[in-house]
Amino acid sequence: MPKLMHKRHDASDIFIHWFNAACWLLLLLTGVGLIQNPAIDPFGSGYPAALRSLVGGGTNLLVIHEAIGVLWILGFVFYLAVNFKGARFFLAEVFTVSPGRDLPWMFKKMVLMTLGPKALKTMGQDPNLPEQGYYNMGQKAFAQASIVGGVIIAVTGVVMLLSDRTFGAESTVMIGWAVALHFIAVGVVFAGLLVHIYMAAISPEERPGFRSMFTGVVPDDYAKHHHRLWWDKVRTGGK
Amino acid sequence: MARQLAMVIDATKCIDCKACVAACKVANKVPEDQWRNWIKHENEVPRVGAAGGGKARFQPGACMHCDNPTCVAACPTGATYKDAENGEVVINEGLCIGCGNCIPACPYGARFRNAEKRKADKCNYCPERRAHGLEPACVDTCPTKARVFGDINDPQSEAGRLYLANKDRLKRVAALTDTKPNMYYLGDLGPEAWGGEAVVPASMVAMKQSAPLIKGIVALSGLGVLAMLGRQLLAGSDHKEDGDA
Repeated sequence: MPKLMHKRHDASDIFIHWFNAACWLLLLLTGVGLIQNPAIDPFGSGYPAALRSLVGGGTNLLVIHEAIGVLWILGFVFYLAVNFKGARFFLAEVFTVSPGRDLPWMFKKMVLMTLGPKALKTMGQDPNLPEQGYYNMGQKAFAQASIVGGVIIAVTGVVMLLSDRTFGAESTVMIGWAVALHFIAVGVVFAGLLVHIYMAAISPEERPGFRSMFTGVVPDDYAKHHHRLWWDKVRTGGK
Repeated sequence: MARQLAMVIDATKCIDCKACVAACKVANKVPEDQWRNWIKHENEVPRVGAAGGGKARFQPGACMHCDNPTCVAACPTGATYKDAENGEVVINEGLCIGCGNCIPACPYGARFRNAEKRKADKCNYCPERRAHGLEPACVDTCPTKARVFGDINDPQSEAGRLYLANKDRLKRVAALTDTKPNMYYLGDLGPEAWGGEAVVPASMVAMKQSAPLIKGIVALSGLGVLAMLGRQLLAGSDHKEDGDA
């Protein structure tokens, strides 16, 4: 008998997730290569020098980075056109935090994942996690960082793209801040991305969730265990 | 010794004709109201025959291709850099997006944002002319040969000969930030301490200061992942996997 499954992602959701992942990877690789200043470059000047010579110079690298960046933004425009409802649902879920439930969840989860349940018991805490909704607090925190960071990255990216195309000398203060904010936002989102990739792809914990990013559905018992409040809603048919 | 292209200028020969300024503008198609080079003079130009009148002092100048280029330190992408081979401070126009960080970072005001290209611009010693064996436009056109251009580390070049013979009495423009400029003056150059301070825009300062912080956040996150991975490998998961039958 086939297991009871619940739908979690539309095809457009799955597309935008992997499209975004591919763009981010390429944008990160090319973008880090565009920074060449001993006070800033994350891996020293060897990486940017090597990457620039690989693609035939810094000019080409900049063009490649800009082209992928524009494609990335167009991908989101396409997604919003196709599944605006899904995007609105996602935003509403992600930015709805109930501190009484979500903050202890976040704290306990971090202890559980690194030190284990014994550590929580030693601290006099119940190792059981508070129930979570469609997304747990960890997913929400990373989604929030990605959305805010992503908007900052896209807007500052467009400002830099237009810098030598439309802006005059009076705009250089804004362009300078666009450069700095682009760098800072990417750094913060990247820090979160490391945890996201571990939790989703390496830790056995979320394996059914990882699979749902291809199939769009999760098993009933996974939904019950990980997203109890959502499971309750699905079962009662309420939304 | 590595090459260092530079200018050795005999300020006493300059007659303030501005031919160098015009020639540069034409050769490099510099937009209206913008210039890559200049001739400075004392605030009061003395009048001939006036009581107490002295001699006029004129000081030709442009980007000084410094040994300590503060403009390079202000550039986030390396679009402007000090060429290791000949000591030029170069702008890679393909990589420059015209963010403007380098402009206040030059204490001599030698940089500007080209109004047409919307990128940083300054003297580049006319590479197109040099490729054809010509001198930079300003040097070529100077009627009194006040500007001498060449590799100052090469004793065979005119610039090198002047530089080595006069090393002790050559002067440089003084600025509040010591950038070690490669523009040397013979004779009385008039106003020699007009150089300002290298100012790095606040956004670039923020970027430089946040860089170690960001590395810290990423490292912390990486450590967290390693801790989780370590626990997963050593202790196994405490978690009975759902839906995985």
